[in-house]
Parts: sequence; structure tokens; C-alpha cells
Amino acid sequence: MLRFIVRRLLTTILVILGVTFISFLIIHLVPGDPARIMLGLNATEEKVAEVQRAMGLDRPFIVQYGNWLADLLRGNLGESFITGQSVTQAVVERLPRTLTLAGAALVIALLIALPAGIIAALRPRSPAAYFATIFSQVGVSIPDFWMGIMLILLFSLTLRWLPPSGYAPFSESPLEWLRHLILPAVTVGIVSGSVLTRFVRSAMLEALHQDYVRTARAKGISERHVVLRHVLRNAMIPIVTVTGLQLAGLLGGVVIVEVIFAWPGLGRLALDAVQRRDYPMMQGAVLFVALAFALVNLLVDILYAYLDPRIKY
Amino acid sequence: MRRFYFLITLLLIGVLALSACASGGSPTDSSGAAAPSDAAADTGADTASDTTSDAAATEPQTGGVLTAAISADPQGFDPHLTSAYSSFEVLENVFDTLVSIDENLNITPSLAESWEVSEDGLTWTFKLQEGITFHDGSDLTAEDVKFSYERILDPDVGSGASWRLANVESIEAVDDYTVAITLNAPYPGLLAKLAGYKGMAIVSSEAEDLERMPIGTGPFMFVEYVPGDHVTLMRNENYWETDAAGNALPYLDEVVFRPIPDETVKTTNLQTGEVDWVDSLPPQQVNSIADAGDVMVDVVTGGDYWYLGVNLNREPLGDPLVRQAINYAINKEDVAAAARWDTAVASDNPIPAESAWNSGYAPYEYNPERAKELLAEAGYADGFEVELMPSSQYEETVRAAQVVQAQLADVGVTATIRTLEWGTWLEEQGAGNFDIYVGGWIGNIDPDDYFYAQHHTGEIFNFTGYSNEALDVLLDEGRAEADPDVRKGIYDQVAQILIDDSPYVYMYIPATVNAWQPNVHGVQARPDSAIRFKNAWMSQ
Repeated sequence: MLRFIVRRLLTTILVILGVTFISFLIIHLVPGDPARIMLGLNATEEKVAEVQRAMGLDRPFIVQYGNWLADLLRGNLGESFITGQSVTQAVVERLPRTLTLAGAALVIALLIALPAGIIAALRPRSPAAYFATIFSQVGVSIPDFWMGIMLILLFSLTLRWLPPSGYAPFSESPLEWLRHLILPAVTVGIVSGSVLTRFVRSAMLEALHQDYVRTARAKGISERHVVLRHVLRNAMIPIVTVTGLQLAGLLGGVVIVEVIFAWPGLGRLALDAVQRRDYPMMQGAVLFVALAFALVNLLVDILYAYLDPRIKY
Repeated sequence: MRRFYFLITLLLIGVLALSACASGGSPTDSSGAAAPSDAAADTGADTASDTTSDAAATEPQTGGVLTAAISADPQGFDPHLTSAYSSFEVLENVFDTLVSIDENLNITPSLAESWEVSEDGLTWTFKLQEGITFHDGSDLTAEDVKFSYERILDPDVGSGASWRLANVESIEAVDDYTVAITLNAPYPGLLAKLAGYKGMAIVSSEAEDLERMPIGTGPFMFVEYVPGDHVTLMRNENYWETDAAGNALPYLDEVVFRPIPDETVKTTNLQTGEVDWVDSLPPQQVNSIADAGDVMVDVVTGGDYWYLGVNLNREPLGDPLVRQAINYAINKEDVAAAARWDTAVASDNPIPAESAWNSGYAPYEYNPERAKELLAEAGYADGFEVELMPSSQYEETVRAAQVVQAQLADVGVTATIRTLEWGTWLEEQGAGNFDIYVGGWIGNIDPDDYFYAQHHTGEIFNFTGYSNEALDVLLDEGRAEADPDVRKGIYDQVAQILIDDSPYVYMYIPATVNAWQPNVHGVQARPDSAIRFKNAWMSQ
């Protein structure tokens, strides 16, 4: 197990290096120059060249990447082109907020998907199953930004139950923190939960038709026991895989929701950085999202062994 | 199943733990968010045009925290380096300029209480008010003014505002409270250049790190910036200016700026009382929100104009007849409505009708038949193909391009639209890779601002390639002319030449829209879009 983890961590490093290289390459290939954007509309060519020199943008691409990498090895992610803020500080400040949002969304998604998926599989023709199917279809089809706005208009503007946007630190007011978290988390959770519902349902259906389920029933075990101990347990592997992917996807995928809800997370940081061509900031954000993605996947693999004793590393 | 709940519990604990780390000790504001019921005194007023008189009628109250929603995170706090509006919304309240500009775009004294120009028009001498201090307690002296302007001019600093001081030969601190600015040519527009933009802020010559700690002389002091969440300013107890009754300014204890990128969400924050003031409303909702009467809405036509920039080096756009045809082919009312709903005025002339500099020259009315005649005269009776280049950064340019496209089709011109992201757009514009771009000029005050950099031969912002000797002579004369009446005559000619020649097809003049809770007073939308909370107060 330990050897497996070490091996996976080593490949993770390679993957992350690859990701940072590709993102560095892409942002340099995209037209648009950080100096020009920083200086705004009223910039002369000379002025742009001056600022480019100051930012080190006049050097060849590969040298710039090499410098960034060398700094990274020394634990220095650099400073924002625009504000001079330390990239490490910015990312460390914002990553937990994005994890909070993604984590809360995943909890909501599971609270929706597990019961809905199980009922849809067990009682395929019941009204509850139809409802679950329609819900998941609708949830998958609605864009998250639109759902976010609709939830804001309903729960903030019309009902006045929740604040429309923003963030409140947990340490100051847990209640305010929760009030601000609910709408964005539900927005992401519904979309994510809809996808999961479909997976839970199909994984359950597949397990239900296995021979050992028939055997268990033949032994006279209660239906409840059959479902919980035999069907669900065996349906867990695909569910955990997809859940893990969902969580990893959420880390990079809550960008739009963060913008809508003015949630000061990593996604918004990354989006702002890309729009302003703030290379160091963007690289820092990409690095941490890639890292979180890789770690979540590693965690999923470890969970496999826990859920299915036959899997050993 | 038990294990599953165990997992969920683990996740929940993780989320809680993370958020505990996330909080990082940044105080949120406990904004005394205004309940709409406070509005009793102001009932019946749709727009805030009369708020200022209300404010005068009632005694301003000191204290309170005003929460202002802005559209984007500030991009840096060094006034000499940033060019972002979101930064200036904050910095406008932290810094002062040597001379200022009032809500009618007149130059007013500020840090300089008076000034005079030498006979030859080359030397400007400014007398500073004595007793003004920076937020760190140090005195404002002529050295700080000299330091600030030299910092803007310093190539190593890389200020984007250095072009505003392009005519400046030297800056000299004559004594502690006297500054002399020497020009290499007479230039009456200097005051507008010094006043019209907070990028010309006077900073302390001892300022160490303006980016993190912007120290100015303004009504509010910088407290903290939590990226993505808020900027907090607090009252400068030693602010030098007082109101008409001699009371200390500013009235507010604190101003908290919250970036809320989505316009609908920002508006909802105002409507639910989460914020007290917003820097814009969705244009399509301005009238309905004003009519609803729950919040105060102020709409003011400003010194910006939006236009089509035509590449004269490309055929057939080099022919003035073709450009005039485009002017006739476009229904500018429709373009303005599509771009800004009810918050823009269609105009053939870049200078707003309210301005003293407006000549009233506006020869084009919507006339597709006339456009076809002109095209035929130019040899393009069957039309031609052209590409429009708006930027996704300004959605209104995309909407305007769509209307222009449809209207050009009516006169046989086939237009395609190439929408570019902002960074790309700037680069393509700079490289001249366009047929017609859709753009805007923002924050114009002096008539020189409207024309010189855009149309003088060889100027860096002359992206259209326009070159007209007669116009260059007029523009140079206009810059140097001190007599306002003669100047007006010069710029009337300039406007006429440019409107006839149409290197720019002027489309519309947008309005600045601000909105606030009924208990907020002493604020107004300004034609220069400056955001000032110096005189703002809240009835408790």
C-alpha cells in the first residue's frame, strides 16, 4: 500500500509538471500581453516595451518557464504582475474557500443522489422514481449560472431568506458563513447531484441483477439487508469513482458559480488572472487545482481498497 | 451504509475545518445595511436628481458605514500604475489631485488653492494650501508634488499616465508651498490633464509601498483589501476640506467596497439592502428600477463616446464617400438602444450636447437611400464586404456591431463580426489588423481630449491612419490657444472636419448610472464617472 502511494505521488509530480508547462504555453500562445492590459487603452509602444522588460516578458518563452520552475523548487511562486501580491499567499487564502464550496456542494449532491438513485433503481415504476429521473434530467440540462441567478431571485430578492452573494468567514459568524454558503453550494450541488443520481441508479441496477443477490434473497435475508449489505456495497465502487471525479471536477468547475455569487475562491482568482494575463497568479492557481485534482484521485484509489477487500495495491 | 454516512461526516468535518482555516482573520464589515423602510422622507422621488437638494435641506449626519458594490476587483492601488476603473473607484476617495474637477466638469482648486500662467504660457505656478497632511501624518509640500509628477514621468516606474505630462519640461519646488511647472509649448489643456484623472494623484515622497498601503491626502484612509471580497476605507479625521457650513468632511466612518461581478446579482444586493450603493445597473432595468421607487437612481450623460474606428488603409474604407455612406446607413438611435437601452444618446458628434464645447454640428440623419447613392458615387453600388471588430470585454460593442451589421446589409454592405477577447482586441487594434473596430473613448473633459490623440497625424492612438494637415494645424493651435472663445471656434472647425471625413463614425454618448438606498445622501452620478463619497452621509 505504502509503495503504491509513493509511486502514485511520483507520477503525480510528473503530471503536475506537465500541466503547468501546458498552461504556461497556452497563456503565452493566446494573444494579449500583460503589459498592454495593465497599461490600459492609453499606452504607447515604448511604454509597453518598458513594462515588458520590467516583467521579464522580453525573454524567450522557455527561459521564462525555466525561471518559474526554478523559483517553484525554492518554494517561491512569485508575485502578481498586477498587484504585487504574493501568489502563494493569494492561493493559500483562497483554496480553502473553493474546497469549502466544492465540499459542501458534494455533500448536497450525495444527499440528493443516494436516496434518489436508490429509489429509482429499487422501485423503477413508482412516482418517486419518475420524479428522480425527471429531476436528474432537468438538473443536468440547466446551466449552473442560470440556476444560480434563479435561486438568487427566488430566495434573496423575493423571499429575502438568504443573502444574494458574498462570503463571510466562519471564524466570525458561523451563521453568516452558512447563510452565504447555502445558495452557491445548492447551485453546484443540484447539477452535480443530478449527474450522480444517474450513476447511482445504474450501478444499483447492475448490482441488483447479480447472482449473489438472488442467492442472498433465496437464503431468506430481509430485503433491507440485501439492499444495504449486498447491493449498495457492491455498487459503491463505480459510485465512489464518479463522486471522486465530480469533486475533482468541482475544484476547477465552480469558476462560474464563484463569479455569480462573488465568492472569493480560487476559481475567480484564476479567471481574473487569465483575463489580466497575470501569468504568475494563473500558474499558481493552476498548480494548486492540479495538485488537488491529483490528490483526490489518489484518495479515491485508496478508498477502493477500503470498500472492496479484494483490491490490494 | 454506515460507512457511507461516516464518509459524509468526514467530508462535513473537512469542510468545517477548511473554512475555519479560510477565515484568516479578515474583519468583514457589519454594514449598517439600510432597510428600505428608512425611506419615508424621500418618498415619491424616482430619480435622485433632487437628492442633493434634500441633502442641503436636512442636516448631514456624521457616522455610519456605507457598503458600495463595484463591478470588479481593484487591479492594484498604486494610482500611477493602475489603469483600471475598479481601482480608481476606490482611489478617488483616498487621493487628491493638484486641481480637481467638479460635477459640471469645471476645474476647481484642490491641493492647489490658486495658480497663474506666465505671459508666454510656458510656466504654470501653483500655490498649495498650507496645513494639508497625508494619512501618515506628514505634511504636504511642493516636494511631494514634484516627486509625484516626476514619478509618473519616470520610465522605470512605467506609469500609463505619463502621456498626460508629455509637454512638461520640468517641475520645480519653488518653496514649500509653491510649485512651478514649465512646458515646452503653451498648453491651456494642462489643468484638465492634471485634474481629470486620479492617475495624476499626488502621493507622499516618503511613500514606501503604494501598492499595499496607498497613502494619500484624500477624505478616506486605506484600511485593508481582502482580494475577491472587500476593500475597507475609514474616515480621515484630518481631512483638509469642510462642507459649506464648516463641518468636517467626510461624514461617513467607513466605506466598504465589495466587488460583485454579475450585474443582476449586484442589483439584487442593492434591492435586498445588502449594499447601500452600486456603480451601475443593468441598462435594460434602469427605468423599471427607477419607476419602482425603492432605490434612488441617477443617470447622467458623460464625457465618453462610442464609435466605429475605420481603417483608412483598407479599401474601400479609405474613400470618405464610403465612410459617409456608413454614417447614413446606420440608425444610431437603434444602435444606442441596443447597446445601452435607455442610458445612451445617439450622436453624430462626440461632444455631448450639454457641453459648452459642443458645436451642434450633426449632419447625418438615418437615410439608407442617401447611403446607397454615396456608395454608387464611390463606385460600390453593389456594396462590399467588411469586418466589424468588437470586444467581448464590452458587451455593448458586440450588441452595437450586430445592429450595425444588420443596417449595413440594408444598403448592400456585407459585414461579418469578429468578437475578440480584450487582450487580443488591444493587440489587433494596435497592429492595425481590422477593417472597422467598435470602441470607446472614456473620460474626456477638455476638447483636446476628444480629438488630438485620436486624429493628429502620427499620434499613437491614431489607429485609423487618418492624416490631414489642415486638421493637424487646427489641433496644434487649439492646444496652445488661451482665449476660450477662439478655442471654441477652432474646435468647432475640428469637429466639423472630422464628422465630415468620418475616420470615426460616432455612434452614441453613454450615461453614467449610479443607484443607492434612499437613506444615502450627498452622492450623485457624475459625467466623468468619478466615484466620490466625500460628501456622502446616511440618515440613521
